[in-house]
Amino acid sequence: MIRSLFVAMLFLTTLFAHADYSQAVKIKKIYPLGKKIYEKKCKELDLDGLSTQEELLQRINGSKCSKLSSKYKEALTLYLWEQKLHNHTPHYKALKVTKEQKCPVCGMFLYKYPNWVSMIEYNNGKKYYFDGMKDLMKYYFENPNGVKQILTQAYYRQKTINAKDAYFVTGSDIYGPMGNEFIPLANKEAAKKFLIEHRGKKIIRFESITPEMVEALD
Amino acid sequence: MMLLIWLVMTLFFLSSSISYELTTKTEHMPDIILTQTKAGREGFVDEKIVDHILEIEGVSRAYAYIKAPYQFKEDISFTIFGVDPFEEIDDPFIAHLLERYNLESGSMLVSHDVKELMKKAYYTKEFNFIRPDGSLKRVQIAKEFDTKNAPHYRWLIVMSKEDARDILGLAGSEATNIAIDVANKLETPLIAAKLKEYYPNAKVVTKKEQKLLYEQSFNFYSGTFLILFSITLLTFFIIIYDRLSGMSSEERREIGILKAIGWRIEDVLGAKFYEAFFIAVFSYIAGVSIAYLYVFYLKAPLLGNIFLHDAFLQTQQFSLAPHIEFFYLFLVFLLVVPLYFAAVIIPAWRVATLDADEVMR
Amino acid sequence: MIRLEGVTKEYAGGVYALREIDLELREGELVVLKGVSGSGKSTILSLIAGLSKPSKGRVVVDGKEISRLPDHFCATFRRDNIGIIFQKYNLIADLSVAENILLPLYPANLPKGELQKRLKQLLETFHIEDKQESLVKSLSGGQQQRVAIARAKINHPKIILADEPTANLDEKLSREFIEILKNLKSQNRTIIIATHDPLFFDLDFVDRYITLQHGKIVDDNT
Repeated sequence: MIRSLFVAMLFLTTLFAHADYSQAVKIKKIYPLGKKIYEKKCKELDLDGLSTQEELLQRINGSKCSKLSSKYKEALTLYLWEQKLHNHTPHYKALKVTKEQKCPVCGMFLYKYPNWVSMIEYNNGKKYYFDGMKDLMKYYFENPNGVKQILTQAYYRQKTINAKDAYFVTGSDIYGPMGNEFIPLANKEAAKKFLIEHRGKKIIRFESITPEMVEALD
Repeated sequence: MMLLIWLVMTLFFLSSSISYELTTKTEHMPDIILTQTKAGREGFVDEKIVDHILEIEGVSRAYAYIKAPYQFKEDISFTIFGVDPFEEIDDPFIAHLLERYNLESGSMLVSHDVKELMKKAYYTKEFNFIRPDGSLKRVQIAKEFDTKNAPHYRWLIVMSKEDARDILGLAGSEATNIAIDVANKLETPLIAAKLKEYYPNAKVVTKKEQKLLYEQSFNFYSGTFLILFSITLLTFFIIIYDRLSGMSSEERREIGILKAIGWRIEDVLGAKFYEAFFIAVFSYIAGVSIAYLYVFYLKAPLLGNIFLHDAFLQTQQFSLAPHIEFFYLFLVFLLVVPLYFAAVIIPAWRVATLDADEVMR
Repeated sequence: MIRLEGVTKEYAGGVYALREIDLELREGELVVLKGVSGSGKSTILSLIAGLSKPSKGRVVVDGKEISRLPDHFCATFRRDNIGIIFQKYNLIADLSVAENILLPLYPANLPKGELQKRLKQLLETFHIEDKQESLVKSLSGGQQQRVAIARAKINHPKIILADEPTANLDEKLSREFIEILKNLKSQNRTIIIATHDPLFFDLDFVDRYITLQHGKIVDDNT
């Protein structure tokens, strides 16, 4: 009896089991797909008071979205559950600069290098934009107090990330507008890959950056 | 004179319009397109490799699509585009269609021209495609769309991947292309190289490479254009030179008469100036207008083929949207008009300064 | 009012059109220059009109030594004082009758009203009002002749020169021309006609006959 229960459980879970998707696939494919489906077809879905993913699936099956193929339902479920309802990673807005803005350290026009824009925001609300982490750090060392947050862009994904969470690679063959740079990566794996592919020398975190390092890059 | 201007302007319009179109066309292409070859020929990709490709750091998006011709009649083939209606597609035209219309399994979106053809074959609400094995597949016509702004999609049919596979005889997860977008463009060549490594039989083309390919082909024919242009210019100069060296006896006589009845040299030249002015301006405007109509309305029959030739680029495929580079307009004007003036005024001046008593003879 | 003093005209190759000509013509005279082709009649007209300059000697017209006037002023002089009727009419075929008649005055910047007045007058005088807009090349020989004469009159010239005016005309048209000539004589104009047409040889309204031969005056009859 327990055996059959066990088998039944297995069955049930396989019904709800999804192929094990990697983070990359989820972020790049599944979530966007689910999001699109949700926005186009299932916006009326009531998302309150759901405690498990299975409940969500049931609710979907009870709505007009039940007619979707299993592939779509899966994407929808994953998106809603993991991204919309339970994603707690902070999302930073893209760093946008105008055509007139210049880097306070080197004076270059920022709009020319959109991939490299990095920003310091202070508690008094002032924001400063730079054409790379190197210049940002130069400014930071001169004005280290009252900093609210420091944001930069991940090399591979071009998404805005928090500098404190980032992994920086130095000594690589990728040059920023100011020459040698601290190349920001979103996580350790990306940093490792980058180090190998672009012949980087070191991976360091934000706290470890010293003025000497900055000078050494010049 | 007018003929000359027309020819030159046609060439310029054509070339600038086409190069402009090429740039805009390639702008919306995905960063990398991957296709498979089998035994040296175009084969099919397996959609499943998309997940593997997504693992590559730097790839922001990857999706498979099906783009293949479906022979309708001897000389007309439709382009079947098989997509997932919820996937983001790079091509703005198709993306827009998917945004606007709901694409369900078993139905399709067709272009206006396709709809008309189907209507002629008595198919109004649906169409029966013939599978490779001879059996029929019925697909509903959901909506038709207009291709005025995208003539290269004149025979486009958009449908789901499953339907496309069914019609074309592709297996469960086969597709014709995989489109890959790269977040940081600096990484594109590296990623392309990686892809080539992973899939040695695949053809991996980056946007840059595709652009170059188009440009190369275009430039070859640009060479022809340059030659034609030089010839036209040369002819023009010869005509000018000829005029400079002398005037017809009729014109000499006329100037003589004018002098005899009391016109001074400056009066004669003044009149010649007006004459030259009107002719130059008129033929310029006429030449340019005719060239404009010829290229952008008639789509440059005959001459257009100088540029474009063969499968990949055909004038009919280009929308030849009016794209005028004022620089060229200016150039032609500055080149032709003053020279023409000189050609008229200088000999007139030479004759006018002679003694007019020859008129009396 | 017209004086040629010691005028010689030599062309390239040692050809002398005129040799040491002395001539004086009074205002209002109707003079016929007789002589075969090449005797120098056309050359005299040309010199008086300022269309060419003498190799030696002076040409004085209405007090002005036109043989020394630069081309620019000669042209203005012609426009203001001289009307020429050419042997071959020398009308501009692609222009209309009105345009041809008004042609001499275009550079003169006269007010439009004045131009129109003169034009109308001439069109009436020569009975070609209805042909005003027609292209000259569509007219008959006689009509073209009248246009040519009208053109010579539009600038109210003091002097009218006619070079072989009847050379290309049949007898009827030639006689018509002579009639017109009679009317031209009034208004105190000096008229000089170079011709070898015998129809002119015995006219009572001609004041003076001058015969030329090989560039010299051999006879001067009043």
